[in-house]
Amino acid sequence: MRLLKFLLRYFPPGLALEYTQGGDIKTKMIDLLDLSAETDVRALAESIKAAEPIITESVMDQLVETLQKLQAKVCDTDTKRYYKYKTLHTHLLPVTNIALDKLVYNRHVIRSIDRCLTGSYDRTCKVWDIDSGAELFTLEGHKNVVYAVSFNNPTSDKIVTGSFDKTAKVWCSRTGHCLATMWGHDAEVVVAKFSPTQCKLATGSIDATSKIFHIETAPIRRNLFYVRHDSDSAGQELGTLRGHTAEVIALHYNDDGNQIISGSFDGTVNIWDTRTFARTSVLIGHREELSNCLYNFDCSLIASSSMDKTAKVWDARMNSCLATLLGHDDEVLDLAFDNNGKRLATVSSDTTARVWDISSNFQQLALMKGHREEVSKVCFSPNGHQLLTASLDRTTRLWSADDGSCFQQLKGHTDDVFACAFSYTGDSIITASKDNTCTIWR
Amino acid sequence: MTPCSTWGLLAILRKLRSNPDKELRLLLLGLDNAGKTTILKSLASEDITTPTQGFNIKSVQSEGFKLNVWDIGGARKIRPYWRNYFENTDVLIYVVDSADIKRLEETGQELSELLLEEKLRGVPLLVYANKQDLGHAVTAAEIAEGLGLHNIKDRDWQIQSCIAIEGKGVKEGLEWACKNIKRK
Repeated sequence: MRLLKFLLRYFPPGLALEYTQGGDIKTKMIDLLDLSAETDVRALAESIKAAEPIITESVMDQLVETLQKLQAKVCDTDTKRYYKYKTLHTHLLPVTNIALDKLVYNRHVIRSIDRCLTGSYDRTCKVWDIDSGAELFTLEGHKNVVYAVSFNNPTSDKIVTGSFDKTAKVWCSRTGHCLATMWGHDAEVVVAKFSPTQCKLATGSIDATSKIFHIETAPIRRNLFYVRHDSDSAGQELGTLRGHTAEVIALHYNDDGNQIISGSFDGTVNIWDTRTFARTSVLIGHREELSNCLYNFDCSLIASSSMDKTAKVWDARMNSCLATLLGHDDEVLDLAFDNNGKRLATVSSDTTARVWDISSNFQQLALMKGHREEVSKVCFSPNGHQLLTASLDRTTRLWSADDGSCFQQLKGHTDDVFACAFSYTGDSIITASKDNTCTIWR
Repeated sequence: MTPCSTWGLLAILRKLRSNPDKELRLLLLGLDNAGKTTILKSLASEDITTPTQGFNIKSVQSEGFKLNVWDIGGARKIRPYWRNYFENTDVLIYVVDSADIKRLEETGQELSELLLEEKLRGVPLLVYANKQDLGHAVTAAEIAEGLGLHNIKDRDWQIQSCIAIEGKGVKEGLEWACKNIKRK
């Protein structure tokens, strides 16, 4: 074994060791979630060295230098002002969802290449270069609204779309060609995600089931009795996840890809084994429909938000409820973990956003007041110092995640803003509105 | 009648749900400038606005029903997308600008194509003969004849004259829709 180089991952902070073993190049990822401005970098380097025999004294200076660079980036609390950079006049009909590329490994750091997906009521998905604002492709083929859009991060060479036409489609992100169509659902597909290993995908539908498909697009055997109606091949259904009693509206793989969580209007989160397609657990407790559910970064926690005005945090191994977050006066519409998994943000029809401590006592840390109508989307900035919220009041707002003060209002949309996201490095913000445009802010 | 919900992705998903007994899905169609959104806003007691780019969804309470009304823009380039919204429709509401005599033929053509759609088969049809306050407006009876409504045999239908901007006649049409569903 020989160490080749150190790679940095800024958000959440981590260090990857690239090394050779028997002719193969491998990487080992070390999470440094606790890295802060107070961290003694030299001591941290020593502790990493103690745990990783591949790190020798000769590379220690380099390691310290690398960690200092990471510390500087992660602890940069400067509040940047964002200005309208580009407006994407996206579709003829309203946009449904947006998704961004993230986490692309290059030679030295893990960085983003900036592409964005928009799904629309006009039955297409479009791929945008958010640097130039140019439209790269229009993915055409669905016969109804395109609702779910997603890249297969980190390679981002494929795109999945889920449609109200009851199918999901996989597309090549370099050519825009449709590679496969996934049939089988009895109603609208509203969520579609690639597995971390990328050879499978999972879909969630209004028909109350989820399905797992293989996306290996092997040549189709044709015979005299077999007539294809589509030029693209059909993805093979591997299994159906049955158990929810109402619509599935959220779905996520864990890091290993062996588990899926799904959130439903039946008020529960279900946990599934992706190898057996069996339900391993049901998280019961919410009294009304769920609006979202998520894993935290290391998949040790699950959080769920509900129309019952609460959010809940669950232990992903014990399948037990750790806390119910009470405080919102109306439906909780969305939630987000920060990158270190220490805080959770929630937004609500009550026009507020709240940040909660989830590492110790589950107390409310900050309250963001100012939106004039319901807040439908929330995310943390990559370094976790800021919170971004999108509202029906046509604004997107940037807040201090620490004290709840508002840094900036991003104004310009002429109708409801329903999606917002940071680029991986935090340099850009993208917002999508019912006014049929997306805006990039830098 | 009270408005109870707004747009939003979650709102859309909730309205896709298989409706419980007392929840109906109304699809509001018609050429551009017919007054669809004005009728919708009149139902929800809201202010009047500009041409609809995409669509609006509103929920209103009437006759003990929760009505989810889908209002789709009527401009020519948007019409091909109407069919995105056909599924699970309980009542089709078609709005005609009674004063736009030049386009009565066009609106008749669009309606007859709608009535041939498989997914709208048997769905009751309510036609609003809107803008009756304008001097040169033709009467509801004349519009019914022009659209050939009397030849419709495969569904219940009703024509209702209205002045959406003043809210006149809108409620009466909706009452017919609710009654008709009760008999379903």
